[in-house]
Amino acid sequence: MANYLMRRALINAIRVPVCARAGSTGNTELAKIGDREWVGYGFNGQPNYVDRPDFPLPAIRFREDTPDIKALREKEKGDWRKLTLEEKKTLYRASFCQTFAEFQAPTGEWKGVVGWALVLSSLAAWIYMAMKVFVYSPIPDSLSEERQKAQLQRMLDLKVNPIDGLASKWDYENNRWK
Amino acid sequence: MLKSASGAFANVLKRSLVPAVRVSAVSVRRSHGGPVESDEEFDNRYEAYFNRKDIDGWEIRKGMNDLCGMDLVPDPKIIKAALHACRRVNDYALAVRFIEACKDKCGNKVNEIYPYIIQEIKPTLTELGIDTPEELGYDKPELALESVYHM
Repeated sequence: MANYLMRRALINAIRVPVCARAGSTGNTELAKIGDREWVGYGFNGQPNYVDRPDFPLPAIRFREDTPDIKALREKEKGDWRKLTLEEKKTLYRASFCQTFAEFQAPTGEWKGVVGWALVLSSLAAWIYMAMKVFVYSPIPDSLSEERQKAQLQRMLDLKVNPIDGLASKWDYENNRWK
Repeated sequence: MLKSASGAFANVLKRSLVPAVRVSAVSVRRSHGGPVESDEEFDNRYEAYFNRKDIDGWEIRKGMNDLCGMDLVPDPKIIKAALHACRRVNDYALAVRFIEACKDKCGNKVNEIYPYIIQEIKPTLTELGIDTPEELGYDKPELALESVYHM
């Protein structure tokens, strides 16, 4: 009871008159929720609504209290077995925006993400091709196969690195690799 | 005055020097973490929490949100107590939402755990007139939400 009184006092302390809500800067959250009932702590103590599986019960009800909803809430105080399926669903949607199945349903967004990633990668490949064709000069002659072989032969003739390198692996008596 | 003050001082001195209680042979182990609550104690604690007669919507939501933040699926007896609490504060949507949340807590074992939960809480559901999310058609997406970027 003391708990309840303290909370009422706190809510009253931060509540501002309706006319002051509209343009006030200090209570923007309160100004935003309109006539929605503030029913709980939520996930950060602010009167906001988010459908989250780890905090399934947000601080405020999703819909504002219309006369229809109010009438239904009066009926809710009676036996729940007398509520029709439609009324039950209306009550649920008055409190919550989406069901778990709805906000956890796959959005298919991954298809667009993968698609755009592939488009951009192929764009990079096209840019590379264009650079090859229009920008870079041809690769040097010294990279051709016979030039590379000649270079290797020259290194062997010079006995490059004879202890544990290239020339050490060449058999000079039989002219082949060891 | 002085006498009483000095007497009090002597008392304090004595108390600080002489241990008031002898350390018994079997002492309580003072270690990190403190006592560990058993599963049954946990279940009973939450059942008692939801069974409180004057519980209000804020406290129910707090208890449910806490349970959903833990690495567990609430025991059916906790769920039953929570549903009765929803009945006492006349919030039908809250009851359905909590069953949905418990289903979500089952994770990838939903086909094993969820039918058990429903079987256990079925009497409470019929007693209070609560429909399961399946009976309301909430096991599959019912309405699409327009993207806020397309409004």
